Amino acid sequence: MTATNEAPSGTEPVTMMDFFMHLDYREPLAPVMVHYAETLEDGRIIGHRCPQCGLVYVPPRGYCPICVVETGDADELTLADTGVVTNYTIITPVQYYGQQETEPFAKASVLLDGGGILSLQDIVDCPVEQVRVGMRVAAVWVPAEARTTAEMTNRSAGSAEGCIRGFRPTGEPDLPPEEFVDKVV
Amino acid sequence: MASPDIAIVGYAQSPSYRRAELTEVQFLYPVINAAIEQSNIERRSIGFTCAGSCDYLSGQTFAFVMNLEAVGAWPPISESHVEMDGAWALYEAWVRLQHGDIDSALVFGSGKSSPGTPAEIYPLQLDPYTLSPLGVDPVSLAALQARVMLDRGMITERDMAEVAVRSRRAAASNPYAQVTASPDVDDLLQQLYVTSPLRRHDLPPISDGASAVVLATADKAREVSDHPVWIRGIDHRIEPHQPGMRDLGVSVSTKLAGEKAGVGEAAVDVAELCATFTHQERILLDALGLDGGVDVNPSGGPLAANAVMAVGLTRVVEAARAIRERGARRAVAHATSGQCLQQNLVCVLEA
Repeated sequence: MTATNEAPSGTEPVTMMDFFMHLDYREPLAPVMVHYAETLEDGRIIGHRCPQCGLVYVPPRGYCPICVVETGDADELTLADTGVVTNYTIITPVQYYGQQETEPFAKASVLLDGGGILSLQDIVDCPVEQVRVGMRVAAVWVPAEARTTAEMTNRSAGSAEGCIRGFRPTGEPDLPPEEFVDKVV
Repeated sequence: MASPDIAIVGYAQSPSYRRAELTEVQFLYPVINAAIEQSNIERRSIGFTCAGSCDYLSGQTFAFVMNLEAVGAWPPISESHVEMDGAWALYEAWVRLQHGDIDSALVFGSGKSSPGTPAEIYPLQLDPYTLSPLGVDPVSLAALQARVMLDRGMITERDMAEVAVRSRRAAASNPYAQVTASPDVDDLLQQLYVTSPLRRHDLPPISDGASAVVLATADKAREVSDHPVWIRGIDHRIEPHQPGMRDLGVSVSTKLAGEKAGVGEAAVDVAELCATFTHQERILLDALGLDGGVDVNPSGGPLAANAVMAVGLTRVVEAARAIRERGARRAVAHATSGQCLQQNLVCVLEA
């Protein structure tokens, strides 16, 4: 933590002070996330299927918060890297400090075929005005030698950053909403 | 005015981890499940849930919402959160149960201190103009408090080391404890100061962990449990948070809370005190009017396991455990918040 207080000049009363601080946190990846990260680097997306309700969680959390049961290796399954856009947001960047983007881009929730949802995925190779709910998409993997999960944290819900660049449209016909409305958490 | 009796019908705690490899939600799972299972109350019929945790510890805004994943919050439940130790969540649940429209409540406290740097985080809870920018950390403030006591002749450094030795020996039989050993007082006194007059053994460990309690109204408690532990009194009081405005050698708020909770109305077998630094035990015993006949911190206390945000509620769990599992008749649990015992909660439990 750092504190910066500029000394008041002359005899002016102090009316304002700056107090800049930062805090560092280092939390090791939980074992279930370590396993998820390793398999993702190998080009495979895994999840846990709840033994009670059947919902699939990706990354696996080690539990189903709906049924309040713990999940483990026996509940693990490999998921498809193709799916459907269930929701999206077009972000129009404004230029604040640290903002890297300059053009509007899409972040989407992708329900993978067979279950499991990856949220906050980039939709790539597609003009943002064409992004839509129901659009069929496929993962665009980072080349194997360039994949990294170094930035992954226990809070990376849905993250595949560093291994999957984003999802591109496959050109297949859209999936009607009734096919996926109750499969989204 | 007499309050309706509320009882503890289930409790559980996690081990105290120096650095938990599981996430906070993950280690909450078995704790909450065990407390509910012991209560014999069906999860979905619990009327209220209250949690205590700290987003600054987690390093994420609204981190406390994630913890509900260990509760079962779908379909929606009635729940609340305090940015305080779980002992204050217990107080809120106790108040909630006074309304009489529900008969049970789940309370939990949890925290991971290991990812951050406590000495940098805690100054941020102090006065943002004169104390936070100085980076005044808990150990430095506790050292000032210990110095007041030493100068006044209330305590010696040997007394402090003896508290550490007794805590660690007691912790050896506590499966949840983190710091267990049987050091020699003279050896401890040979150690260098960390922050004079405090040595390493005067400080609590850095811990991750959780604890949980299930409360029930009197009728419900008798229905589900053969051994309810009754809350006979509970109260909490607060003092100014600027340490310079208080006499650090006494705890007025603990004294008041203890009187309101009825500590002195009968003999006390066990006291589980949140004396996070060795010297604070003397202040708390004086404030609560407890003497040599009381078994103080048979669990080892916060010097053996200090999962911040759970450690106060764990005192309640340990006091309940002393009654239900070891035959104590009457126990006092104490929790604290802020620096140098600024805010204090006292809870009297009976078989």
